[in-house]
Amino acid sequence: MKRILVALLAMAIGGPAQAAGADAALIEAARKEGQVVWYSTLIVNQITRPLALAFEKKYPGIKVQYSRATSTDVALKITGEARAGRIQADIFDGSNTVFPLGDADLVESYPVESAKGYPPELRDANGTWTALNVYFMTAGYNTDLVKGADIPKSFDDLLNPKWAGKMAWTTDPTVNGPPGFIQNILALKGEAVGMAYLKALAAQKVVNIPAAQRVVLDKVIAGEFPIGLMIFNHHAAISAEQGAPVAWARLEPFPSNANMISMVKGAPHPNAAKLFLEFVLSVEGQEEVARDLYLPAHPTVRAKVAELKPDAGGFKARTVTPDMLRAGEKGWTAIYQDQFR
Amino acid sequence: MDARRTTPLIVGAVLAILMLPPLLMLVHGSLVDTNAAGAATGWTLQHFRSLLTAPGAAESLRNSLVFSAGSTLLSLLVGGLLAWLVERTNAPLRFLATLSTIISMGTPYILHVVAWLFLLGPVGPINDFWKSSRGTGKLVEVQSMGGMILIEGFLWSPLVFLLLGATFRAANADMEEAARTSGASILATIWRISLRLAMPAILALALFVFIRAIGAFEVPALVGIPARIYVLTTTVFESMKTMPPNLGQASAFAVVMVVIVAVLLHFYGRLSANAERFASVTGKGFRPRPFDLGAWRWAAGALIVLNFIIVLLLPLVALIWLALQRFPRAFSMAGLKTLTLANFTAVIEAPNYTDLAFNSLLVAAGAATLIMALAAFTGWIAARNGPGGRALDQLATLSLVFPGIVLGVAVMEVYLRVPLPIYGTLWIILIAYVIRFMPFGMRYVYAGVLQLHRELEEAASVAGAGYLTILRRIVAPLLSPAMVAGWLFIFLIANKELAIAVLLASPGSQVAAVAVFDLWVNGQGGELAAFGLLWTVLMTVVAVAFFLQSRRGGTDIWGN
Repeated sequence: MKRILVALLAMAIGGPAQAAGADAALIEAARKEGQVVWYSTLIVNQITRPLALAFEKKYPGIKVQYSRATSTDVALKITGEARAGRIQADIFDGSNTVFPLGDADLVESYPVESAKGYPPELRDANGTWTALNVYFMTAGYNTDLVKGADIPKSFDDLLNPKWAGKMAWTTDPTVNGPPGFIQNILALKGEAVGMAYLKALAAQKVVNIPAAQRVVLDKVIAGEFPIGLMIFNHHAAISAEQGAPVAWARLEPFPSNANMISMVKGAPHPNAAKLFLEFVLSVEGQEEVARDLYLPAHPTVRAKVAELKPDAGGFKARTVTPDMLRAGEKGWTAIYQDQFR
Repeated sequence: MDARRTTPLIVGAVLAILMLPPLLMLVHGSLVDTNAAGAATGWTLQHFRSLLTAPGAAESLRNSLVFSAGSTLLSLLVGGLLAWLVERTNAPLRFLATLSTIISMGTPYILHVVAWLFLLGPVGPINDFWKSSRGTGKLVEVQSMGGMILIEGFLWSPLVFLLLGATFRAANADMEEAARTSGASILATIWRISLRLAMPAILALALFVFIRAIGAFEVPALVGIPARIYVLTTTVFESMKTMPPNLGQASAFAVVMVVIVAVLLHFYGRLSANAERFASVTGKGFRPRPFDLGAWRWAAGALIVLNFIIVLLLPLVALIWLALQRFPRAFSMAGLKTLTLANFTAVIEAPNYTDLAFNSLLVAAGAATLIMALAAFTGWIAARNGPGGRALDQLATLSLVFPGIVLGVAVMEVYLRVPLPIYGTLWIILIAYVIRFMPFGMRYVYAGVLQLHRELEEAASVAGAGYLTILRRIVAPLLSPAMVAGWLFIFLIANKELAIAVLLASPGSQVAAVAVFDLWVNGQGGELAAFGLLWTVLMTVVAVAFFLQSRRGGTDIWGN
């Protein structure tokens, strides 16, 4: 009887104990490595640092070294490190970082256990990337300077002469920057009409800010520009929550894409890297993403401000998939260089 | 083995290993085709051809020239006037000029630029005032060539102030006295005597500032790019920031810049040699009598105060304001209600800030130490015309031809190919600093040795001391004031320069100036301002030490 009880008990705890056992081995190995190095494209004080702190709190003894740069810069840094035979990054994210690095065979396949339930468009079947969060791009405006009927409601409103020289955007040459705007217009209006629109917009002298979308939005908040194009709608929400005079406009469809997180092939801290991926993509990690007012990729974790997503927000979005990105990126960037630089 | 022969050989070898590969790799990089992986596939002139055909290439050269000429003129005007007022007149409040110079010596250029962009920007106090009085429009469009020249000119005016101050201080007052006694007015004396005497020094300095402006990166990047105004440095930077990086084009542009700077340096050498011929410094140990400005004293004092406000006070106030706000906003009463220390808390609590501050101090101190150690040998041998002295001098000052960003490209190319685990660490920044600032260390030691009479070394030699013993026991101790001043100077400029490290720093090996640039690019203006202020306080302490040491050691500031 006693023996059966023990066996039953063992069975009862056996299942979870086994899963936790695999985890425990990973945690132990990660702890031995002591740190994980994350080359991020996310804004440090808004989400990179909070995520790193949450991870460090859950796994004391494993330090997260993070830095922020654009997608292109992150790719450049990792390729440089590979060329020099000295890879330092374990983890990277970005809207298009994974492709050039994948071509250079610098991305590790690691299907993340905790991201198994993600929809197929948000995770690569081979495990080279998983979406950490999703983006909806639109225009942001200063609520002290742009009011009522002046608030742009369509892309055509941006051509109003009163906005000439008063709009700014980032120089980030990715789908989250001008190239993303361009592809959206071409898809919305067709090649010919789209190009005519882009030429008219170029004549409006949109100011190129050689910095992140966040910087553009900060300039809108400060009143330097009434309107910022290609800003993240959740950035506007974060600032509005702090009392900044800013809101996001509804220029539909919103170009949308995923911020993809991956592991570097030859990462110096592979176990810590895997553990970090498991954490940030788990419900717990994604709840931290939501807490920071970013838009989680996890299917069951809700955004803190639901209106930032199309369903609750009642706006149309148009997703740029990784395949579309790979096929079109060169052409969109060329149009940007031709028309807007 | 004779130490007299082996020492120059060893020192020469070390210098050659440091100085020559970057130059060679740069030329190599500009002449080879590469595949996607970055490996060389064959020789080509295509990169140079593309300079002629690429849209904007000629324009960036023209912009570089206009920008450098304009900012040189402005800094000469502002700094020169100030130097003259402070050194040669009885204007009141002269200490304010020295104070702003010391503090600006410790502040990274990029912090000034950020502050200036805010002050002169669309919502800065100047345009704000204009708008509120006129109802509309902007007085200043800062993101323009004019704005670039204005900010760069003010950035360099403290240097001009220091260097011309030394010239004015050392000028012989006899001729001015004679003119005044013969009945010439103050203005006539200045125009016909003071300026004429200082002209060779002013021209040499103008060329020096011009060369530095050609290599300037901070202002062209932050002020120029938004206005779509590219200069040579920002063009090189952008070529390195595409995926894959366009090393060939960057190298070709870099080679062009090296040639321009080399030609200018040649003329600079001739001008400054010429300047020495005009020197009217004598052994007379008196300070020239200051001009009595009479009723104009207070106008001059007002100018000094205005300069103090523009160069130091306003940028400082702007940074403090930005550091105390959660999101960037114009100066306003409403903003006073939202002051917060959150940015300071974040900077102090987040471990990466302490890490990168420590990195900066470490790598700057390391570079300064290595340079002064090497320079002690090189400068002594060169100043004493020892065997190989001339060759050593030329090797050690070779890197003057590298603008910072160009050196970044060159050093990167070298250490991407050398199988040493240096890329992406602090070592690569350390090496670049040593290469770049070696000439300054040389100047300090060289000038210091020239002040020592040979008889001390000869006496030691007669008494039986060997070559290295003389260096260790006689020369080094006597040189120590110059060495300490040189060390502090290099430490300060290494912590200030952005362009050298901007391409070399990695996330794990950040230094302060690059971190500030990253913070700006990444949209953390508040934390940037908070970190920048704390950093400035730290560097000001070092700058004060440097200033006192230079005065005490009798060495010329900036090693010129």
